[in-house]
Amino acid sequence: MSILIASQVLNGLATGMLYALVGVGLTLVLGMLNIPNFAHGVLYAFGAYFAHSIIKLSGSFYLALLAAPLLVVVMGFVIESQGIRRLYTAHHDYQLLFLFALALILQETIILVWGPVGFSVLPPKLLAGTVNLGFVIYPAYRLALIVVTILVTVALWLFLSRTNVGAIVRAGMENREMVAVLGTDINRVFLWTFGLGAYLAGLAGALATPILGLTPTMGGDMLPISFVIVVIAGLGSILGAIASGILIGIAQSLTSTWWPEASNIAIYALMGLVIVLRPQGLFGTR
Amino acid sequence: MARLFNLPTLLVIIALGIGLPFIQRPVVAAEVLTLGIAAVATNVLLGYTGMLSFGQAMFFGFGAYCAGILATKYGVSAFAAIPAAVFATAVLALLVGLVCVRRSGLYFIMITFAFNQMLYFLAYSWTTMTGGEDGLPGVRRPALIADQWSFYIFTAVLFLLSLVVIKRFVDSPAGRILQAIRDNPARAAATGHDVGRYKLIAFVVAGLFTGLAGAIFAFVFEIVPIDRIHWLFSGDIVFMTLIGGSGSFIGPVIGAAFYTWLQETVSHYWDRWPMVLGVVLALVVLFFRTGIAGMVVTLTRGLRRRTFVAKKLEARQ
Repeated sequence: MSILIASQVLNGLATGMLYALVGVGLTLVLGMLNIPNFAHGVLYAFGAYFAHSIIKLSGSFYLALLAAPLLVVVMGFVIESQGIRRLYTAHHDYQLLFLFALALILQETIILVWGPVGFSVLPPKLLAGTVNLGFVIYPAYRLALIVVTILVTVALWLFLSRTNVGAIVRAGMENREMVAVLGTDINRVFLWTFGLGAYLAGLAGALATPILGLTPTMGGDMLPISFVIVVIAGLGSILGAIASGILIGIAQSLTSTWWPEASNIAIYALMGLVIVLRPQGLFGTR
Repeated sequence: MARLFNLPTLLVIIALGIGLPFIQRPVVAAEVLTLGIAAVATNVLLGYTGMLSFGQAMFFGFGAYCAGILATKYGVSAFAAIPAAVFATAVLALLVGLVCVRRSGLYFIMITFAFNQMLYFLAYSWTTMTGGEDGLPGVRRPALIADQWSFYIFTAVLFLLSLVVIKRFVDSPAGRILQAIRDNPARAAATGHDVGRYKLIAFVVAGLFTGLAGAIFAFVFEIVPIDRIHWLFSGDIVFMTLIGGSGSFIGPVIGAAFYTWLQETVSHYWDRWPMVLGVVLALVVLFFRTGIAGMVVTLTRGLRRRTFVAKKLEARQ
C-alpha cells in the first residue's frame, strides 16, 4: 500500500511539475498583460506537436526539447505583437475573446497539419528504463522529468528574483503604469513576458509527450487546469503557481487511485473550496 | 407587449418567430429559438451587468441533461421535466454563483470556465445516467408536441415568455442596479447597494433561463450530445451574444440565428467549422465590436448621430 502511495505521489509530482510550468507561464502573462491567456493551452499543445515533428525529422529527443519551445516562443511573439497589442486600448473582454478565437484557430490548425488522431512518443533510450529508488521502482523518464522541471523552476526563480530584467517583470506585474512611467519600454516587456509564458507552455508540452501522448485537444484539456492553478495560487504569485501545480497534480493522482471517476472532478472541487475559504487564493495577498 | 419592447425589437421577434420555420426545418428553427433564449439570458450578465461568463454551457448542458434524464430514465413528460430541470439549474446556478461572484473581472471569467469543465467531466464520467461521450439519446417528445410544427409552436411560446420575463427583469429597479454596477461598481456599492447580491441575482437569472433553453433543447433532436456542456459551447454562446450585439436586448437572438446559419452553411462545405468560428470571432473582436445590432443602429441613424446604444457600446471598448 505504501509503495502504491509513494509511486502515486511521484506520478502526481511529475504531472504536477508540468502543471506548474504551464501555470507559471499563465501567471506571468496574466499578471503582466492583465488577460487570462485562452491561447495558453494551445501553445502547450504546439510545444508537444513541434517536439513530435522534430523527433521524427532528426531522431533526437533532446534536440526537440531545446527547439520546440523556442518555436512556440516565436508563435507567442507573433500573437503578442500582431494581435494582442492592437487590442490594448480595448476592454479586456475583447482581448480575451481574441485569444479564445485564436485558440480555436490554432487547435484546428493542429488537426489540419497533424491529423485528428493522436500520437504517442517514446522517451529517449537513455531514459526508457526504470530506476530503483529503494522504496519504489520508478520509470526513469518520469524521474528525469521531475528533476528537469525543478531545475527550470529554480532557474526561473533566480532569473525573476536576482536579475534586473526579472525585477522589471516583477515590477510590471505589480504596477505596469509605474514601470512605463519610469522609462522602461513597456511594449518590449510585454513582448518578452508573453514569449517567456509561451516558452514555459511549449517546454511543458514537449516534456509531456512521452508520458501523456499527443491529441489535438490536449491544449483544451490543459487550459482549465491552468486556470485552476492560477485561481488556487492567487493573483501574480509565481511560487504559489508552482505549489498549486504540484498540489493539484498529487491530488489528482491520489484520487485516481481510489476513485478514478472523480479524479478529473476533484481539482475543481478543490478550487471551489479554496475560493470559499480564501477568496484571494492560497498565496495571494489581494 | 408593445410597451415592453420597442418597435425594432418587436419586428425582429415577429419576423424570426414566424419566418424561421419556413426558412429552416421547424426543429432547426426551434433550436435557434432555444439558442436565442440562452444568448439573451447570457446577455443579462455580459451586456447588462458587465460580467463575462465563460461557463454558460454548464447551465445549458445541465438543464438539458436533467430534462433528458427525467424523460428517458423516469418516463417523465416534457411538460413536467422542463420545469423540474429549470428548478434544478437555478439551484446549481445559485451554488456556483455563490462561489463565482466572490471574485470579479478576470477571476470571475476563469472560475466560471473551470466550473464548466467540472460539470463536463461529471457528464463524461457518469455514463450510466448521461451516456457519457455518446450523449443521451431517446429523449422523446410527448404526443401533444410530437410533430415538428406543434413542437415549434411550443418552443416559440416559451421563447416569447422568456423574453418578456427577462425584459421585465432588466427594466425593473433591480435590472437598473445591475446596469449601475456595470457602469461603476464602486459607485453602486457606495450608494448602498449590495453589489455581490445583485450580481448573484443576475447570475441565477442568466443560469435559470440558459437552463430552460437547454431543457427545451433536449427535446429538439431528442438527444443531449455531450458537446452542449463543453466549454467550447460556452464560447459559442458568448459568440452569439457578442456578434448579435451585447448592447441591445434583442441583438443576441439575431446572433443565435446568424450562428446557426453560419454553422449550417459552413458545415455543408467543410468539416472544420471551429476554424471558421475562430476567424469570424477574431474579425468581430478586431473590427466590429458592436455586433450586428450595433452596425444596424449605426447604419440607420447615420454615422454622425450615434445613438445612445452605440455610444454605450463604444464606452465598453
